[in-house]
Amino acid sequence: MSEYTVINSRAVRVDTPDKATGKAVFIDDMTMPGMLYGALLQSPLAHARIVSIDTSKARNLPGVKSVVTAAEAGLVKYGVSPARYDETLFCHEKVRYVGDDIAAVAAVDMETALKAVSLIEVEYEELPAVFTIEEAMKAGAPVLHDNYPGNICAEVHSEFGNVEEALADCDLIKTTTFQNKRQDAAFIEPQGCIASYDLSGNLTLYSSTQVPHYVQRTVAMVLKLPVGKVRVVKPYVGAGFGIKASANPLELSACLLSMKTGKPVKMNYNREQVFQYGRARHQFTHTMTTGVKKDGTIMALKHLCYLDGGAYSSFGIATVYYAGSLLGGPYKLPNMKYDGYRIYNNKPACGAMRGHGGVAARACWEQQLDMIAEELKISPIELRLKNMMVAGDVTCNDLNMSSLGMKECIEAVKDGSEWTAKKGKLPKGKGIGMACGFFVSGAGYPIYRSDTFHGTVIVKLTEDGGTALVYTASAEIGQGSDTTFAMIAAEALGIRLEDVRLESGDTDFGVDLGAYSSRQTLMTGHAVKEAAEDARRQVLEVLAKELNVPVENMDIKNSLIEFKQGNVDFTGLRTRYSKEHRGWNDNPADGPLTFREASRIAYLSKGSIVGTGKYKPPELGGKYKGATVGTSPAYGCSAQIAEVTVDEETGQITVDRITDAHDCGLAINVTSVEGQMEGSVSMGLGEALFEEVKFDKKGHVINADLAEYKIPTMLDMPQIKTIIVESNEPNGPFGAKEVGEGAIMPTIPAILNAVYDAIGVRIHELPMTPERVYLAIQEAKKGKTG
Amino acid sequence: MLLPKFDFHEPKTLNEACQILAAYGVKAKLIAGGTDLMVNMKKKILSPEQVISISRIGELKKLDTSGDSIRIGSCFTVADLSTSDAIQKHLSALGEGAKNLGTPLIRNLATIGGNLGSARPAADLPPALMAYGAQVVLNSLSGERTLSLDKFFLGPGFTAAKPDEILSEIQIPSLPPHSGAGYINIGIRKGQDCNLVNVASFIALDTDGTIRNARIVMGCVGPIPLRASSAEKMLIGQKPESALFARAGAAASLDSTPIDDFRGTAAYKRDMVGVLTRRTLDIAFREATHRQ
Ligand SMILES: Cc1cc2nc3c(=O)[nH]c(=O)nc-3n(C[C@H](O)[C@H](O)[C@H](O)COP(=O)(O)OP(=O)(O)OC[C@H]3O[C@@H](n4cnc5c(N)ncnc54)[C@H](O)[C@@H]3O)c2cc1C
Repeated sequence: MSEYTVINSRAVRVDTPDKATGKAVFIDDMTMPGMLYGALLQSPLAHARIVSIDTSKARNLPGVKSVVTAAEAGLVKYGVSPARYDETLFCHEKVRYVGDDIAAVAAVDMETALKAVSLIEVEYEELPAVFTIEEAMKAGAPVLHDNYPGNICAEVHSEFGNVEEALADCDLIKTTTFQNKRQDAAFIEPQGCIASYDLSGNLTLYSSTQVPHYVQRTVAMVLKLPVGKVRVVKPYVGAGFGIKASANPLELSACLLSMKTGKPVKMNYNREQVFQYGRARHQFTHTMTTGVKKDGTIMALKHLCYLDGGAYSSFGIATVYYAGSLLGGPYKLPNMKYDGYRIYNNKPACGAMRGHGGVAARACWEQQLDMIAEELKISPIELRLKNMMVAGDVTCNDLNMSSLGMKECIEAVKDGSEWTAKKGKLPKGKGIGMACGFFVSGAGYPIYRSDTFHGTVIVKLTEDGGTALVYTASAEIGQGSDTTFAMIAAEALGIRLEDVRLESGDTDFGVDLGAYSSRQTLMTGHAVKEAAEDARRQVLEVLAKELNVPVENMDIKNSLIEFKQGNVDFTGLRTRYSKEHRGWNDNPADGPLTFREASRIAYLSKGSIVGTGKYKPPELGGKYKGATVGTSPAYGCSAQIAEVTVDEETGQITVDRITDAHDCGLAINVTSVEGQMEGSVSMGLGEALFEEVKFDKKGHVINADLAEYKIPTMLDMPQIKTIIVESNEPNGPFGAKEVGEGAIMPTIPAILNAVYDAIGVRIHELPMTPERVYLAIQEAKKGKTG
Repeated sequence: MLLPKFDFHEPKTLNEACQILAAYGVKAKLIAGGTDLMVNMKKKILSPEQVISISRIGELKKLDTSGDSIRIGSCFTVADLSTSDAIQKHLSALGEGAKNLGTPLIRNLATIGGNLGSARPAADLPPALMAYGAQVVLNSLSGERTLSLDKFFLGPGFTAAKPDEILSEIQIPSLPPHSGAGYINIGIRKGQDCNLVNVASFIALDTDGTIRNARIVMGCVGPIPLRASSAEKMLIGQKPESALFARAGAAASLDSTPIDDFRGTAAYKRDMVGVLTRRTLDIAFREATHRQ
């Protein structure tokens, strides 16, 4: 039994009734009086100089209210990381990918806006374009950004320990190269927003975003407004997975057009534009060399990685760091060397996506570890257990595993899948494989260098008592954070979940860095807890005075006041409360003193009771360059076992079952944790088997829809057994840490290892489409016979 | 994505529909379930000025198994095909195609006539229908004609139906005893996928157990669904057995004319024709041994 009354249970999500009945309001549902519709002119060419732009025909079209280009927008550079601000709202000298933004139009309706866009005349001088890493790095290749010669957007070189020395002492050294493919996050709701500029110069932006805070800052910076004049509000959002974790050209254009016209302006991407905008998972090419001792002790990892970055940086600098740093754990690895390069080319920019930077790296390495285990004749589980860190261990790159239920996860999936009965005993064509992974519980530092709190929260008790209002700027994007924080507030305050009302996603509520890097449960959670405890303390302090009972002798539970010692006479308070509510027929008459009465008495004594909370990670380890990417107050971890069937004649893979154990520290809402685990399996399975954004020779996405870009359907989903492991994270609120991204880490390598177990052929390139698997089988057969 | 502007007609009878179609000719498009047409219109691949819905015409929704041929109205939905006991009993390979078409939502709208009318080389229903020897009935103001489905498809998106003709019915000759058919489609994933290769095979056995008649139809490996004629020839007069089916598969591979595209290489599709031909012949043979 849990020691808690609200958290660590299965709560019905606070947004369930609205979402189940269609009442939940998303951007697409919103309109405003006098609202205009905006549309973007986007480049049809992958690389071209802009010779001239003529907007006169568009401006003269009846119904058009504003046309803006770089001339109106200015040339403030922005992006994600201040170290690589390499975008302007609109292109002014050249375009760098098909879809690069050139102009925006606001008109009375969508038809007119689109018609106006088609009337803008742009003269281009086409430039030679590069679409692959090889083309972009060739000597004399066309350069996308003048200040980045060789098209190298970012490079990372790090070494911990001494890899060459360690390798020289190893009994087995294994090198493999692995490649995933550019992904799209395929969230249900395409990006969209409404900007509304009022007559006093205040700008409100409603947007489908994961990060109201960063959007607020970027809008203010690019459009040269004081931050205090910009408010960003996030209605319900149909997911983001990282792609909505920075300001986009829609948001900036809508704001500019609203400022120009004084009217609300709505803009949306269609699905094709979602693909064209990109910013999802990079294509990574990893080459890893691992050295081990005969007994399986991992000694060293030498790692080279190239990221196919696209036309702009987006999150890319963090991505190239994460691709290296997230291999520091969860195995004891004394020596690690990493060289990473992110390369620009004339495709849409890639960015951050669930499991940021670490997913392909993890897949490559976990498959390689299985190969090593096989050669050493050690079971893959034993090899992993042998090298596994435990709570308190610090990786060679200074990541502190303050809690780590990794061994428990491995044991849980081993038992849960009946591994021992199956491994090595399945018929040909059937296979079982396992893998592990871990991920940060929130980035240790904000994206811009700052001493800011990562989250501030206000808990205000209603003046008539009984209800706690929680205000947080955090972002509910479908993952269930509103419910999680309502639960944390209820637990910390001592009241029932139904006595909490929570509002989120509004920059007016405070600072919250938003939903990315799996940070909210730990970071916002801390701030919620602190704010709720602050409100609780204020109520109890008033009671202490009124009743002459020390605060320590009182508690609040289930919205009732508990006195720990003896009978306390509170009839005076109860009478006061009743007198203020003459005519009410639900006044507490007998039984314990209620929170409703207590918080009313507190208000009468002090005025509004407002509790505040805040969170900033403590000083974290790592003083080397790039140490800010990967350090986190805590790490979630997981193990998975996949069981597959491979049709060897067609190459078709069926994932029959996934057994998944995740250590989330403590599950605030058990159902939501399982939801994240199952969602991660679906996403990982898609990347493993189906997904790839494809381009033609001119840089157009050729599968920019959900018919040809294939995410898993219900029919593709395996049975999933989820097992929650709780390690009680010392740095987390109530011991909680992440589940949002870490859960995806083992999925791909577990499937890779299961496929090998089924067919005896290793596959080192994703996605494992039937054709790729078929060819691998044919190749292997040829190798055997010829 | 916005639809182009168009006028909408909703006739109640086939005759009325023929009249409207005759009046507008190439400026008009018929719409049944709209699951193909709407996509093309949103993408602006097609921008008909007139859209004529035939989904209110009751006479186009029938399924009649009473005569010596099975008659399916062109507006019979794919969902109904996939759950109909009569289809399962008489035309299991067609039922299999229907079950594998799109998603439940798409199947609820999609019609058999629309599937033929769209003339997609990867469509799920033509291979089985051709393997069963189906004919289509085409109606216009000037009358009615019947055409073998083998002659109906001209190329991707093109059929032998004239601009003023409406496909009203699909007719399938009742199956002889000891005949059976099989259908298999493969794609990248298990649901809602454009096929990479799909094959339907039909065989009818003689009283002595040899193969009297065979039809093998391959989708996705040519501009229209193709008959694997050399594979068919190889089967006739032979005793059905797995080695023969494997040889027929190899022959069908050579009969196919796939191209490389972003979904897959010609070489892979060709190899899969072989596998699916063999597997569908196995299914057909199993069914044939049971059908009286
Ligand atoms: C998400 C999605 C998934 C899909 N998956 C599949 C799949 O797996 N397999 C597959 O085969 N198809 C698939 N399709 C395509 C489509 O659903 C089918 O081809 C369907 O059968 C079309 O039927 P319909 O009634 O909707 O056709 P409509 O869109 O109404 O019509 C299609 C074409 O046929 C013409 N037409 C319709 N009826 C007649 C008639 N009686 N006489 C003459 N011409 C006519 C129309 O003018 C139009 O050109 C999919 C479509 C979508 C949107």
